[in-house]
Order: sequence, then C-alpha cells, then structure tokens
Amino acid sequence: MNRINQKLQEDKKLLSIYFTAGYPSLNDTVSIIEDLEKNGVDMIEIGLPFSDPLADGPTIQASSTQALKNGMTTAKLFEQLKDIRKTVSIPLVIMGYFNPMLQYGVDAFCKKCQEIGIDGLIIPDLPVDEYKAHYKETFEKYGLVNVFLITPQTSDERIAFIDDMSNGFIYMVSSASVTGSQSGFGDEQTKYFKRIADMNLKTPQIIGFGINNEETFNQATAYTKGAIIGSAFIKYITENGIKNIGEFTSKIKP
Amino acid sequence: MKFPENISEIGSLQPDYLGFIFYDKSARCIHTEIPNISERIKKVGVFVNATTETVIKTVLANNLKAVQLHGDESVAYCKVIKQELPEIEIIKVFSIKDEFNFEVLKPFEDTCDYFLFDTKGKLPGGNGYTFNWNILEDYPSTKPYFLSGGIGDSEIEAVLEFSKSKASKYCYAIDVNSKFEIKPGLKDFERVKQFKKQLFSNLATKQHTMSYNVNEQGYYGEFGGAYIPEMLYPNVEELRQNYLKIMAEPSFKEEFDQLLKDYVGRPSPLYFAKRLSEKYNTKIYLKREDLNHTGAHKINNTIGQILMAQRLGKKRIIAETGAGQHGVATATVCALMGLDCIVYMGEIDIARQAPNVARMKMLGATVIPALSGSRTLKDATNEAIRDWINNPVDTHYIIGSVVGPHPYPDMVARFQSVVSQEMEWQLQEKEGRTKPDHVIACVGGGSNAAGAFYQYLDETDVNLIAVEAAGLGIDTGESAATSALGREGIIHGSKTLLMQTDDGQITEPYSISAGLDYPGVGPMHANLFASGRAEFISITDDEAMNAGMELCKLEGIIPAIESSHALAVFKNRKFNPDEVVVLSLSGRGDKDLQNYIDYFKI
Repeated sequence: MNRINQKLQEDKKLLSIYFTAGYPSLNDTVSIIEDLEKNGVDMIEIGLPFSDPLADGPTIQASSTQALKNGMTTAKLFEQLKDIRKTVSIPLVIMGYFNPMLQYGVDAFCKKCQEIGIDGLIIPDLPVDEYKAHYKETFEKYGLVNVFLITPQTSDERIAFIDDMSNGFIYMVSSASVTGSQSGFGDEQTKYFKRIADMNLKTPQIIGFGINNEETFNQATAYTKGAIIGSAFIKYITENGIKNIGEFTSKIKP
Repeated sequence: MKFPENISEIGSLQPDYLGFIFYDKSARCIHTEIPNISERIKKVGVFVNATTETVIKTVLANNLKAVQLHGDESVAYCKVIKQELPEIEIIKVFSIKDEFNFEVLKPFEDTCDYFLFDTKGKLPGGNGYTFNWNILEDYPSTKPYFLSGGIGDSEIEAVLEFSKSKASKYCYAIDVNSKFEIKPGLKDFERVKQFKKQLFSNLATKQHTMSYNVNEQGYYGEFGGAYIPEMLYPNVEELRQNYLKIMAEPSFKEEFDQLLKDYVGRPSPLYFAKRLSEKYNTKIYLKREDLNHTGAHKINNTIGQILMAQRLGKKRIIAETGAGQHGVATATVCALMGLDCIVYMGEIDIARQAPNVARMKMLGATVIPALSGSRTLKDATNEAIRDWINNPVDTHYIIGSVVGPHPYPDMVARFQSVVSQEMEWQLQEKEGRTKPDHVIACVGGGSNAAGAFYQYLDETDVNLIAVEAAGLGIDTGESAATSALGREGIIHGSKTLLMQTDDGQITEPYSISAGLDYPGVGPMHANLFASGRAEFISITDDEAMNAGMELCKLEGIIPAIESSHALAVFKNRKFNPDEVVVLSLSGRGDKDLQNYIDYFKI
C-alpha cells in the first residue's frame, strides 16, 4: 500500500509541510526533509520550482525564483533525493507545475518518482479532465497517488467527479486565493468546511492555503483529516534559517 | 403546446422556445397549468388581439419569457407591454403570401425584439404551408426574425439551403408547429426529435469542416486545451459554456456590430498600396486596422469581451498589457461601459511606455505594476491570472490575444474575424474575388493574424504568412521567434509552442516591438506551423525598422513596429506580379515614435 494511504489510516490529524526544493540554498533539500520528519511532521510536499507559478502568492514565488537562481532543476532534485528512502519513511509528495514534468517526459518523470520512493504528485495546472484523458494510466502504472484541488467555488457535481478520480486525498483550498494570502478563517470558510464534510466523500480531505499557526490548524482539521502549511513555513526559514525547524512545528502541533 | 405530458416530453428535447396559445378560438388553446420545464427554455405566450391587461396577467401567472402577437396589435399596444414588462421579449408576427411590403415593419423596430414571418392563410397561424422565402432577400432590417409557416420534415433540405442564402442573414429561429402534430396541440415527439437532430447535425457539419479551427475539446490539432488551476475552473467553465450562445444572440450581434461601426469606425479600409506594389512588382493591399479607434486591431476584441462580461453579469474587469495597446483598448471599453478596470503591466514596461500608462489612467483604469519574475508581459499575465483566482465571482479577465485557456483563443479569434470577413467583400468589390493569394500578418500571441486568417483557414489555396520577431537574430539569444525557437509546452493555461529552457522554465523573449515580445504563440498558430498550413517567416529588428520607414516614404503611413515586421516580408520573399497580397496593417506608429526617433536618430 502506498505510504500516503497508510498514513491516512492513522487515527490522528495530519500535519503536512510544503517547501520549495533548492531554497534557501541549493543543497538544503535533504536536510529539510529529514528535520521535518524528526519534528513529527506527517507528510511533506517537495516543491519543484517553476518560473511562472500561477497559483502562488509572493512568498512561494520568491522562493521559486531564488531556487532556480540557485541552480535547481528537475534532474538535480531527483539526484538529491536518490537516497532519501534510506533515512526518511513518511510520505513524500512532489508539488509542481506541469510544464517542467512535460519537458522531462511524463513517463520518465513518474518512473523516476517511483524509483526514488515518491508517493504522489500535486500538479495545480493539470486539471482532472486532462489527467483522466491523457495521464491517469501512466501515474497508476508507477503507483503514484495524484492529488486534485477543490475550492469553495467548485460545484458539488465536480467534487463528486474529483472524489471519484482521486486515490489518495483531496487538497481542499480554504478560500478563493493564491497561496499565502490569508490570515485566519471566518464563518464562510467554516461553512464551506462543514459543507464538504457533510458530502461524506470516499476520499479524505486535507486543507491548505491560510494555515499558519495552531489555531488555524485546529480550525482546519476540525472537519478534515489534516492540513498543509506552505507559505508560513517558507517565511519562517527565510527569516530564521533551517537550523531549528522544530521551533516552527512545535508552534503548530505543540 | 397544450397537453402537460406532451409539454414535458418536447421540453426534454431542449428547444430554445416553447409556445403556448392563449387564444380561445384556437383548437390549440391551452386550458391547463403549464408543467415545470427547464429554466433554459423560454416560454412564449401566443396571443391574438387580446387586451394588454390579459397579456400582462397571463405572462405573470405563467412566468412567460416572451409574447408572440399574432393579431393586428399596434405599435402603441406593443409599447404598453414593453413598458409594463420590460424583461419580456416581444415577437410581432407578420404574414406573407406572395409579396410583402417591408415598410410596415419600421414603426415596430424600436419596441419589438423579434419579428416572426408566417404564411398568410385563413387562420392566424397554423395553416400548414410555407411562403416564398426568397421574399426575405429584400429584408431591409437588422432585426433578427423567426421563420415560420408550414415547416416540417420535408422542408429540412429547403431550410438548409435557406441557411446558406443571403436572405437568412438575420434569421434567428425556426418555428415549427402544425406539420408535427398528431392532432391540434399534440406534437409527435419522435418526429420533432428527428427533425431537430437532422437539422443540427447538418448545420454542425457545415461548421465543423473548418479543420484548422478549434475542436470541441478546445484543441487545434495537438495544441490548446485548458491547463488551469482548479481555482480558475468555475470562471473558465462558465465562459466556455456561454460564449458561443451569447455571441449568437441577436441582441449581442446587433450591439457588437453597431459599436464596431459607430465607435471603432469599421469597416476599416482595404487600401491598394500603389507605390509599394510598384516597388515589389505585385498587387499589395493594406488592411487598415491602424485606422481603428485607439490605433490598432486590439479594440475589436475588447468590444466583444466587454459585451460578453456584461451579459455574464461581471462588474470588474482585469487585463494584462505589454506595450499598453491592449491595456488602452480595455480601459477604453471599460470607460464606455462604466465598469471598473484594473490593468496589470510589468514594472519595466511601465517605465518604457509612459504615454500609454497615462492614457489608461486618463480613461479611468488602475494600472498595477507586475513586480514578479522578469517584470514584463509574461509576468503581467501571471498577475492578472492571480487576480482572477483571488476574485472568482464578479471579475472578467479580458485576455488581449489568442492565448490562454480554451475558450479564450477561439473567442478572441472570433471577435477578430471581422477583419477577414471585411476583406472578403472588399476584395470582391476591388478584384472580383473574395480570396487573395496571400495574407500576411505579424504574430506575437497572434490575435491580429488570427483575425486576418480566420475566413481563409480552410481555403488552402490562400497562402497564410505569419511573421515573427527575430529580435537581434534567431541565434543571438535575443529573439522572440517562437516557431523557430520554441518547443511544445504549457504557458498561461494553454499547450502550445513556447520558448523555454531544457528544464521547462519559460524564458524571456526579446524584440524591439513590445507587441511581439511574448515567449509563446496562440495554439491556433502553433497548429498552423506544425501542420505546415501557414508559412512562418522571422524578421529582425533592423529589417522591420527599415520596412516601417519605407512605408512612411512610399505611402505616407507610419506603421506600428509590429506591422513593420509584416511589411519586411516583401524584401525577403518574392511574389508574382499578378498575385493579390493582403497585409494586415495591425496598428499605427504613434506609440512607437520614440523608438523610431532613437533608431534613425531623427
């Protein structure tokens, strides 16, 4: 069984952390992953940097630009991760835009992920319709979980379709926004969280966008299986470096 | 319609309108309540000389969306109804036998939404035979009309034939009735179903033969699609489901045509460039898009999209701009319609295009600098997309070229297709034929070329020439020649050719012309290139600047530097003396004055 599906069966709320590979420095990737696991993080999204990240706000954009300047490439990331499974056992997901994967070759990319021990992919600009028509078989051949996004504007009908096409978890975008632009959740979001919970989907949901402390983590996971933190973590390591990641995670899940 | 079960049954076939007769003397008069049918079907009440009070009461009681007036109702009568029920469509019926005096329509033009032409017979409608449709060739109005009277299965051929004729230009709907009845008011479901199917499949094949056009999935060959984050899906899907329907609405067409005529100044002239033709020993016509309001072809698209945005109920408009031409064209239509306008523009472009920034501000737009990435057009587009993600309900994004996720490339191409539509009849007048031998247009994203090529995409005896900006030269690393330097990839929601690193990072193009300075190209053009349908030529900064100066001297026209790239083709490629070459002069050179001054040290 895929590590993601195993993890989702555990009786706890999951904390997942996103970071941009190659940031702050090119070779920080492995040590960040190892430290996150040591500090009790349940799952990690490794961001493959892209020149034009449409769905991201300024924080993640800036980290991507810097990572590319540092020399990060798809091949480089795979090289850095080649022995990652010797030291890390939690689920690892690569999150990135579709064009770099297309240029690497979708089949070759997925194959490499399987070799390394990557468990799933999140590709914001590969919509479920294109995935179904062209790439589903390839992803499944290499045992990869593909994660789709839903938003407060996604219709019930489409959520049902996405639920049907999902084999890991659904990434629930907390509000209409790019990454890193929220502070706290209001009634509207709570209503949306409830609405989705009441749909009793077969696929567990994990909330992302706008989680930056214990309070928002608890709000998000009151209705779902877990939460993803991205921009807040990038901000933390931008300001504090990567030496003391536990200081950040302990504030989310004391 | 009369019988509840039959109404539901026919409703399931999704006609655009369903009619209910409220005329006591008719055998089809409805006496029961109308059952629930899809909201999308407009319920029409048919009346014959009823009092206006009765009509109004009946409309409200039955939630009707339109009234069809079949008697001797006067203009004043129609006005009362329009005043009391402004949302209701009024369809006024006129009966035709062998001839018709179209003058009688005139007084009704302002009040009625549609005319309906029926066969003159014993009864007010439902007589079961057709009139001579050729009479409609003299139809003097632009008011859309319903064609009615005795249309049945055996008229399919005639209807299809009619749809190709000039007389059908303003035909909006086909109205069927008695020929499909088992008894008065009871329709034969199977026969109506077959009729609709046959009619639509035939009309559809007619349209689908355009193989270089977009298919139903939003692809041009291998290129196109909608590679968008889920956050954008509801907006893009709303547009996809509605754009063709809205563009086909008579009121939309009417308003679009009117604005293009009175506001933009269309049709733009097709000018025979005598001295340029003599110099290059061929027949050169310039399609004068430079004479449009705001100075380029861009406004054709922004007029179309602002009307689209209004019909979708959007209150806030966003746009991206490079040199500022599309930003100005967007700010212009927003001022025209009184809508909020936010234009994203790269910080570097803001600095080098100050006059256009000032124009946008004068027109009431807010110009927001794009500070991310390379701070030029590509990044302005990213910022506009991010804005749309953050404002998913009330905002419409007016994309300026045939790029972006489906349906944008197709929608923008359709709005720009007015360029080649005019070329057809203008060439007919001047050369006695609708088709030129060559059409030349410059390509950045490719909206001007899409408009100039559109009517000729599948006319393979018309050679299409797309001109890209080579910048300092294709091999210099400072170029925007996407067909030569690009590979298949994804940019701004579309699979197309784009300039990128081996690793799939999008690179910065370079051209002296800001309008051609884009790392991708619209998916339509990617397909025209990959399939070999169009000839692609790249022109350097130097070649373009010299060609632009040559046009000034030979024809007294200062072209935009974008258009100068197209003009440079004549030095690079031979045409025969008897060939007709149409070149899309996409914009005027006012905005480029400083560039010309600097380059030629004027």
